[in-house]
Amino acid sequence: MNQSTSQSLVTTKGPIKRISKQEKVSVFWTLLLIVIACIVLFPVLWVGSFMFRPDAAMFARPTEWLFDPTMVHFQYVIENGFIGYLGTSFALASISTLLVVVLGTPAAYAFARFNLRFRDDLFLFVLATRMAPPICMVIPFYMIFSKIGLIDTYVGLTLAYLTFNLSFYIWVMSSFCKDLPLALEEVAILEGHNRFAVFLRVVLPLLRSSIVATGMLCFIFAWNEFMFAFMLGGQEVKTLPVAVPELITTQGVRWGPLAIVGTLSLVPVMLAVFLLQKHIVRGLTMGAVKG
Amino acid sequence: MKTTIRPLENRWYPYALLAPAFLVLVVVSLVPFLFAMFLSFYEINFGRIGGFAGFSNYSRLMDNERTWNSLWVATKFILIAFPLQFILGLGGALLLNKRVWGRSMILPLLFIPTMMAPIVVGLVWKVMFAGSWGLLSYNIVERFDFLQGTSVFSSPDYALLALALVDVWQWTPFMMLAFFAGLQALPVSPYLAAAVDGATPMQMFFRLTLPLMAPLMVVIGMLRFIDAFKVFDTIYILTAGGPGTSTEVPSLLAYRMSFEQWRIGESAAFAVLVWIGFFVLCSLFYHTAKKKLNVF
Amino acid sequence: MTIYKIESKSILAGLVVTAAAFFYGTPLHAQSWSYAEAAKPYAGTTIRVLDEITPLQETMRKLVPEFTKETGILVEYELLGHGDVIKRGQADLFSGRGYYDAIMLHSMQMGPLLAAKALKSIDELIENDALTNPSLDLDDLIEPANKSLVNYAGKQYGFLTWNYNQIYWARADLLSHPDEQALFKTRYGYPLAPAETMQQMRDIAEFFTRKSGETLAGEPLLNDFYGIVLEGIPGGTTFTTVWEVFMNNWGGGVFDSDGKPNLDTPENIAALTFWADLWKFAPPGQAEYSLIDVPTVMGNGIAAQTIAFSDFVLGVDKPGGGAFAGKFVYGGIPYNADNPEARSAGGEPSLMALSIHSKNQEATYLFMQWMIDKATQAKQVAAGGGGVPIRRSSFDLDVMSETTRLSLYNAMATSLQYVRAKPKAPNFFEIDSTMAPLVQQVGIGQLTAEEALKDGQRKVLSICNDCLLPE
Repeated sequence: MNQSTSQSLVTTKGPIKRISKQEKVSVFWTLLLIVIACIVLFPVLWVGSFMFRPDAAMFARPTEWLFDPTMVHFQYVIENGFIGYLGTSFALASISTLLVVVLGTPAAYAFARFNLRFRDDLFLFVLATRMAPPICMVIPFYMIFSKIGLIDTYVGLTLAYLTFNLSFYIWVMSSFCKDLPLALEEVAILEGHNRFAVFLRVVLPLLRSSIVATGMLCFIFAWNEFMFAFMLGGQEVKTLPVAVPELITTQGVRWGPLAIVGTLSLVPVMLAVFLLQKHIVRGLTMGAVKG
Repeated sequence: MKTTIRPLENRWYPYALLAPAFLVLVVVSLVPFLFAMFLSFYEINFGRIGGFAGFSNYSRLMDNERTWNSLWVATKFILIAFPLQFILGLGGALLLNKRVWGRSMILPLLFIPTMMAPIVVGLVWKVMFAGSWGLLSYNIVERFDFLQGTSVFSSPDYALLALALVDVWQWTPFMMLAFFAGLQALPVSPYLAAAVDGATPMQMFFRLTLPLMAPLMVVIGMLRFIDAFKVFDTIYILTAGGPGTSTEVPSLLAYRMSFEQWRIGESAAFAVLVWIGFFVLCSLFYHTAKKKLNVF
Repeated sequence: MTIYKIESKSILAGLVVTAAAFFYGTPLHAQSWSYAEAAKPYAGTTIRVLDEITPLQETMRKLVPEFTKETGILVEYELLGHGDVIKRGQADLFSGRGYYDAIMLHSMQMGPLLAAKALKSIDELIENDALTNPSLDLDDLIEPANKSLVNYAGKQYGFLTWNYNQIYWARADLLSHPDEQALFKTRYGYPLAPAETMQQMRDIAEFFTRKSGETLAGEPLLNDFYGIVLEGIPGGTTFTTVWEVFMNNWGGGVFDSDGKPNLDTPENIAALTFWADLWKFAPPGQAEYSLIDVPTVMGNGIAAQTIAFSDFVLGVDKPGGGAFAGKFVYGGIPYNADNPEARSAGGEPSLMALSIHSKNQEATYLFMQWMIDKATQAKQVAAGGGGVPIRRSSFDLDVMSETTRLSLYNAMATSLQYVRAKPKAPNFFEIDSTMAPLVQQVGIGQLTAEEALKDGQRKVLSICNDCLLPE
C-alpha cells in the first residue's frame, strides 16, 4: 500500500485495469516472487515428475535428472478407480463449505457488529469447539455415529467436518467484518431498511471477497482431511486422501500413481483458487468509499 | 475506529443471526465432546463402557512420561514453526500486495503447499530427505557429510527442526493468503489521509497497516497456534515419533493410544486435558488482546 | 432349528452310508459334501470380509467370484493396507458396529480381541457336518504357526489364512563373485555364502560395508554401500523383529513362563547389543526405515543383506522389478551359533476371524473354509506365480518348484519351521509401542542395551504384571 496507488484510486471506478505512469509493474518484486516460487515448489515439481518417470529412474543414484517418460502410472491409476474418488471429495467439500458459509457468515457478522451480552464467552465457545485434538475425538465420533447409523454416509461426514470448519470460518470472518465501513450500514438503517435486508443487500456484497477467501480455506481443509474421512467413511464415501494410503503397499510406495493422485487432488483446488482469486483481489476500489 | 452498532430496537436480532450456527456447533461439537468427557471418567475396555473410574484415566495419563514428553515436543515444535510461518506469511502477503506482474498465476502456485493433502506433503519431503535415497539427502546432506553419517530424520538433534521447517513450508502459504486477503480488504481512506499528511511508506506500515491488520493477524495467529498442536501426518510418515520419542507429538501419541491400543478412556482424558489447556491459554490471550491490542 | 434337523438326519444317513461303505469300501459320505450343497440354505446372502492388501490377497481377490459362482453367497471382499486393516477392523469389532462378518487378524491382535470377547469361536460350526468340508485336511496347515494362532482356552477361532514370515535375503551376485569370495576367505577364514548363523551374517555385513570409490564385485562404487539393512523406525515391526529374530535366538524373550515381563535379562542384553551393533553396517537413515522401506532399499541395491518379510519379495524380485531383480538369494532366518536350540524366526501368522456380531455365521464359515481349501490354495499359489503357503502340500505344487524361486521357497520352508504366533497379550500394542523407541535408541547409540531393557522392564511392568490371557 503506497502513495502512488492511492492517488490513482480517486479517479477510477471498478477494478484497476489501466496502469498509469506511476504504477509500473515492479520488475524486482516480480522476479523475487518468481524465484521464491521456484524454490518453494521444487520438491513438488520433482515429485510431480514421477508421474511420467519410470520406477527405475526415480531414486537412481547418482540422480537421473533426465529420463524417458512413461504412461504406465496413469494406466494404474485409471485401472484402480482413483478418478472416482475425486467426485466424492468434491461433493463432500462443497456441501460442507456451503453449509459453513451459510451458517457462519451471519454469526461472524453478529459477533463483529453487536455488543452482545456474553459476547466474549460465546465467541470463545466457538473457538473452543476446535480445541480438542481431532485424533482423540475420532473414536467417540465413531461410537456415536455407529449407534445412529451415520458411518459411511455423506451426512455423517459433513456433520463431522462442521466441527472444525465452522469455528474457523466464524473467527476469521469476524475479523474481516470488523473492517467493513460502519457508515454504510448506519445510513441504510437510518433510511428505514429492515435489519436483515441491510445484512443481505449492503453487508454481504461488501463481504464477498472475505467470504471467498475464507470459504476457499475451509474447502481446502475439508478436501484434504484424512482421519475423519477414513474412520467415519467407508466403501460408499471414499475421499481422495483416504485413497492415498492404498498406494503405500508392501511392494513399496507406488510413487508414480501417488504423484498422479496428488496432482489430481491439487488441480481442482488450484483451478478454484485461480478463478476465485479476483474476488479477493478487489483492487483498492471499494465503489462505496467515494461516498 | 468505531466498529459496533448502537443499541437496537430488536434485541433478539443478533441472537437470531447466531442461532443457526450455534445450534449446529452444539450438536456437532459439544455433544461428542461431552461424550468424550463422559468416557474419560469410565473404564473403557476395548470400546465397552465399564465401571466408573473417577480420575484414574487422568492419573494414569499424567503418570505416563510420554504424555509430558509429547507436550514438550509440541511446545518446541510450535515455538520454532509458528513465528517463522507468521513472519514469512506476512512478508509474502506484503510482497504479493505490491504491483507484481502475473500475480494471478503466482498466487495459486505459491499456495500449493497448503493445498496439498498433508499425507502427500509428508511423502514429498520423504522423497527429498529420506536417508540414503532422498534426493537432497543424497545430493547435499551426504555428499557434504553434513550430518556425519546419519540422515535428517534420524538425527536426534535435527529431526524436530526439520519437521518444524516442513510445517513452515506447508503453512506459510496459508498465512500468506489470509494476510493478503486482509491487506486487500483494508479501507483506503486512512491511507489517503496519511498520504495527504505526507507520511512515508514505513510510517504507513507501522501506524496504519499493522494496527488495521491486527484483528486478522491475531485471529489467524490463534487459529494456527491451536492447529500447529495437532500436526500428525508429516510426523507419522517421516519419523513416526523418532528418533526415540524426540518427535512424538501429542497427536501421534493419541493415535497410538486410540487406534492401536484402544485405550479410549485415557485418550478421552487426553482430549479433555488438552482442551482445558488451550481454553485457559486462549481465554487469557483473548482478554489481553482485547484490552491491550484493542482487537475483538 | 434347522441345524439340529440336519444333524440327526445326517447321523442316520451317516450310519447307513458307513455300513454301505464298510461293505463296498467306498467313502461315499466324503464324496457327497460340496460347498454348493452346504451353501444351499444360505445362497443369496451377502457377507462382508475385510482383508489386508499384499500381492497374496490381490490374487485371492481374483478368485473370490468363484466362491460366489459355486455357492450363491455374495462376498464383498474389501482390501486395506496393513495399518488400515488393523484400524478399521478393530474399530468394527470393538465398537460393536459389526459391519464386517469376517476380518483378517494378525496374531498380535488376538490378545486384545479375545480379551474383548469380539470373536466367535468356530467349534460349533466345525462339529456341524453339513457345513464342514470333510476333506479340509487341517493337519496339512503349517505348524507351529496354525495351532499357536487359532487356539485359545480350548476353543478354535478360525484357520491360518496368511502365513507371513521373515527370511534372510542377500545379494547373490555379490556373494558369488570370485574376487569377493577370495577376499572374504582371506579375511574371515571360511567361505563366503549366504549366512546360516547370526555371526556369519555380521561378518558379511562388516565385509560389504564400503565407501564410495572402493571396489565392489570388481567395479568401483559410485555411492556408499552397506552390508545390511534392517527395520529401524520406532513402530512397525521393528520391535517384534528384535524380539522374535534376536532375543528369542539368544534364549531371551519378552515374557517369562508365567506371562510376566522379563526384559532385563543377560540373554536379552546380549541379543539387543548384537542387533544394535549391526547398525554400524547399515545405511544412514535406518532409523526411518519401516518394514516397507526395507525391501525398497534392497531393491535399489543399497545393501547386501536384510531380514524382511518374504511376501515382499514377490513385488521386488520379479521381472521388471528393478535393476537388481533376479540377483537375490534367500535363506531361513540365521540361527545363533552359540544357542542353536533356541532357534526362532519372525513372522506374523494371520487368520480370517469370525466376528461375534456377524449375522451370517454359517455363510461366513463356508467362505473361511473355502479360502484355505486345497483347491483354492492351489489356484491362488499358481495364479500368483508362487506365493507364501499355508499348507505343507503347497510346497509340492508345480509352480513352487520353479527354479528361479527355489531359493525363496526353501527359505520360507526353513523359517516356517520356527514361526509361532505372538503370545496372546491384551496389552500387546502398548508393550510394542513402549519398547520400539527404546530399542531404536540402542540402535542409534543413545542408550546401551542394558539401560534400554531396564527402562523397558520398568515401563512394561507398569502396563501389566501378568500380561498373557489366562488359558
